[in-house]
Amino acid sequence: MTSILSLIARRIFVSVAILVIVSALLFCILRRLPVDPAAMSLPPNATLAEIEAKRHEMGLDLPLFRQYLIWLGQVAYGDLGISIHFRRGVAGLITSTLPATIELAVLAMLIAGALGIAGGLFMFHVRGTAREAVADAGSIALLSLPEFLWGLFFILLFGVALELLPFTGRLSSGFERPVITGFLLLDTLLMRRLDMFWDALKHMILPSLALGLAFSPTIMRVLRSSLIDVYQEDYIHQARLRGLSERRILVHHALKNAILPTLSLMGVQFGFLFGGTLLIEVIYSYPGLGNLMVDAVRNADLPIIQAVGLAYCVVVLAINTVVDALYVVLNPKLRVT
Amino acid sequence: MGLLVARDLTVSASLDGGRVPVIRDLSFTLKAGKMLGLVGESGAGKSMVGRTVAQLLPSGFAVSGGSLVFSEANLVTMEPEARRALLGREIAFIPQEPLSALNPVLTIRTQFDEHLARIGVAAGDRRPRMLELFDAVHLPHAADLLRRYPHQLSGGMCQRVLIAFAFASKPKLVIADEPTTALDVTIQARIVRLIAEMQERENTAVVFITHDLRLAAQVCDDILVLYAGRAVEYGPARQVFATSGHPYTRCLQLANPAMSGKRRGLYALPERMPGLRAWNGIKGCAFAPRCPNVIEDCTRAMPPLVEVGPNHAAACIRADKTARIAAPALVPAAEPRQTAPVLEVSGLGKRFVAGGLLRRSEVAALSDVGFSLHENEFIGIVGESGSGKSTLARLIVGLETPSQGRIAIAGHDASHPDFDEHRRRHVQMVFQDPQSALNPRRRVASIVTQPLEAAGVATWEERLARADLLLGEIGLPPEAAMRFPQQLSGGQRQRVNIARALCAVPRILIADEIVSGLDVSVQAQLLNLLAALRRERQFSMLFISHDLSVVRHLCDRVLVMYRGEVVESGPTEQVFAAPAHEYTRMLLAAVPPDDPAEVWQGLHA
Repeated sequence: MTSILSLIARRIFVSVAILVIVSALLFCILRRLPVDPAAMSLPPNATLAEIEAKRHEMGLDLPLFRQYLIWLGQVAYGDLGISIHFRRGVAGLITSTLPATIELAVLAMLIAGALGIAGGLFMFHVRGTAREAVADAGSIALLSLPEFLWGLFFILLFGVALELLPFTGRLSSGFERPVITGFLLLDTLLMRRLDMFWDALKHMILPSLALGLAFSPTIMRVLRSSLIDVYQEDYIHQARLRGLSERRILVHHALKNAILPTLSLMGVQFGFLFGGTLLIEVIYSYPGLGNLMVDAVRNADLPIIQAVGLAYCVVVLAINTVVDALYVVLNPKLRVT
Repeated sequence: MGLLVARDLTVSASLDGGRVPVIRDLSFTLKAGKMLGLVGESGAGKSMVGRTVAQLLPSGFAVSGGSLVFSEANLVTMEPEARRALLGREIAFIPQEPLSALNPVLTIRTQFDEHLARIGVAAGDRRPRMLELFDAVHLPHAADLLRRYPHQLSGGMCQRVLIAFAFASKPKLVIADEPTTALDVTIQARIVRLIAEMQERENTAVVFITHDLRLAAQVCDDILVLYAGRAVEYGPARQVFATSGHPYTRCLQLANPAMSGKRRGLYALPERMPGLRAWNGIKGCAFAPRCPNVIEDCTRAMPPLVEVGPNHAAACIRADKTARIAAPALVPAAEPRQTAPVLEVSGLGKRFVAGGLLRRSEVAALSDVGFSLHENEFIGIVGESGSGKSTLARLIVGLETPSQGRIAIAGHDASHPDFDEHRRRHVQMVFQDPQSALNPRRRVASIVTQPLEAAGVATWEERLARADLLLGEIGLPPEAAMRFPQQLSGGQRQRVNIARALCAVPRILIADEIVSGLDVSVQAQLLNLLAALRRERQFSMLFISHDLSVVRHLCDRVLVMYRGEVVESGPTEQVFAAPAHEYTRMLLAAVPPDDPAEVWQGLHA
């Protein structure tokens, strides 16, 4: 137990350092862009003197390093600045969109994990038979299709042609969006509004399936090859010699070992998946971090771009810490006793 | 009627489009309460017999003839489910590698519980049964042990746990496949004793698979010697060893260095057992190409097993001539020169830091070791794993830095400015596992002349010429120069490993367990090679080994190490004949005696 806590403590320490570096990079790159926040926040007919005065007011005439320190100080107090375009606090914008994206990514990861594990088991099961080639080709086909193609395909098939599922937004019109935690599925359950929960879930099925499907084949292939490795191990042979059934050997002996590399892969994958939400959100007009980011880029809304970039970074670091901790829990060799 | 009866059992593998018999016409009878030893070199098919009992053969392998009857039911034709029902209940297995035979992510308790559930022990009775079984296999702190994971136990403890598993169901048959090979010598005797004890208690029949003839002679009732998939000799253990009928059995015995009496030469069988691919092409006796008694008739037809004594048969047409095979005379080595020592070690110690930032502790791996190695002297270093043998070697070669003490090589110690240079030139190390010590992407010629490459002076032509010389010296054909390590056998790889160390013409060679894991015939070849090189090259060697008989054969002096300290040292024969330290006595008692008629102290202590 102590080893897990110390691992988490260590990871948090490292994460803070990473965040400072990433934010500095972001800050410098964005300040180098040929956009002038001062000019943008004034009416088009403002004079050069007015712009200069605004620049001074916004601190843009200070050296870059000073500007960064000031910004960092504000971030430490939870002040992410004011959006140039929306004229609202960036922190508020983030907290209202981040949960939606996390919800989408988590659901997509669950789908990717479930499909990946089921597919991996199937691929392992058919190894050495004629069906192996088919499974192999199938997984490679899956691997080569990116999430946005799935997204578009699902809209056409389930949304437009079959009219089975909704494909825009998070809720149908007519529902009042509750705000308790910001996680829609959780909030609707807390309010005991099952109809609304169901509606929200239906909105999430297509985007999360598109994302999950795109990320499942790697999990499949890694699980398959870890299972093949584990089945070479002595303890599997020994379990057979004790007369255990193949089913029991798979579930109780092989899977528990083969899941370890699969799990660490899923940790890495989650980072990519979280980035992948951006395109999916745009395709499905899903009001999350991705759409906020796209709007911000379109409007050159530097404070938002910066904050969203950081938010992505925080989420990925947090997930990796959780996966590492889980890895220690599942692998007794890493536990110091 | 026996409990396990094989009649003309033949197992074959599909290979290169054809079928090759890996076990051919094997017949034996094992009665309840008896122990049958299967001996032979690696690749002879010993383990395949065990796998055939469970019918868990590698893919492509199948029984192609004969029968294997257990309790009057033919295991070969039995339904797979019926056979699986026998496994773990009536037939149990003790594995070769105890540490890897247990699932690393499950506690001992979970795995034991699963096994007991499988053999039908009610949930409430399982824990008391586990404690009772652990008591039977002499495992203390049973309750604590149950909470542990396999990696937290030593190899010996894991093997006890697995023996407890095996005997939990009071099986009629236990198959022990090299159960002590991966363990320390001192534990070997205890594990063998434990198996014998459990066998007696439950009247179990045991198939004991081993490459160690002395061990088999001590514990088994009957012995079956396998060569290239065939039984070449079968009979009561004492007779098989005392009056061997087959030259192979005799040669294997003569390849083993003696533990008592005068040192004698080792009989090094030439070449090696033919590989599986060649088995189909063998006409006549498979051993003929290596046999010292071979005559033309041997290659005409495969010799049948014929009686050579009561219940004792050998597959040799000249069995009456077998006893004439004798070990070659021992060529005396040049005496070590009592001039200034080439290596002097004094007060040497090494401490390793364990734990993290908070709970930091120091572990002494070596403390106050001192000795001197003279020119042309071979010193053996013996002790169990963890006794500091390898740490000592690594310190001398410079792979680790000592925490205290002094190392002087040819008179220079670390205070000398050119010490490292000096050490590189004079000290070479040969590592234990040639498989991992040789770069698989380099050709042999490039590997053995690596020291020249490091010096950066030789052209490729010069290196090839040098490689040619070296290969001749270590007994490999010149064409081996352009091969890759994986194209060589284990023994040949170890020769390449030695050649590389010799390339730099070192004055001191440090050999860390270089013959362990090799078959006795290959071991004998290598030991003879080292002795010959010593006569020609005049170098000194520190020879680290857990095998006392090898050290006795090769080394002038011996250092006995225990927990990082040298507890006894002196001339090898003297130390082994009259050990002064309790630990040395224990190590010696753990080795089965040369003469199977002699009582093995370690087994009955």
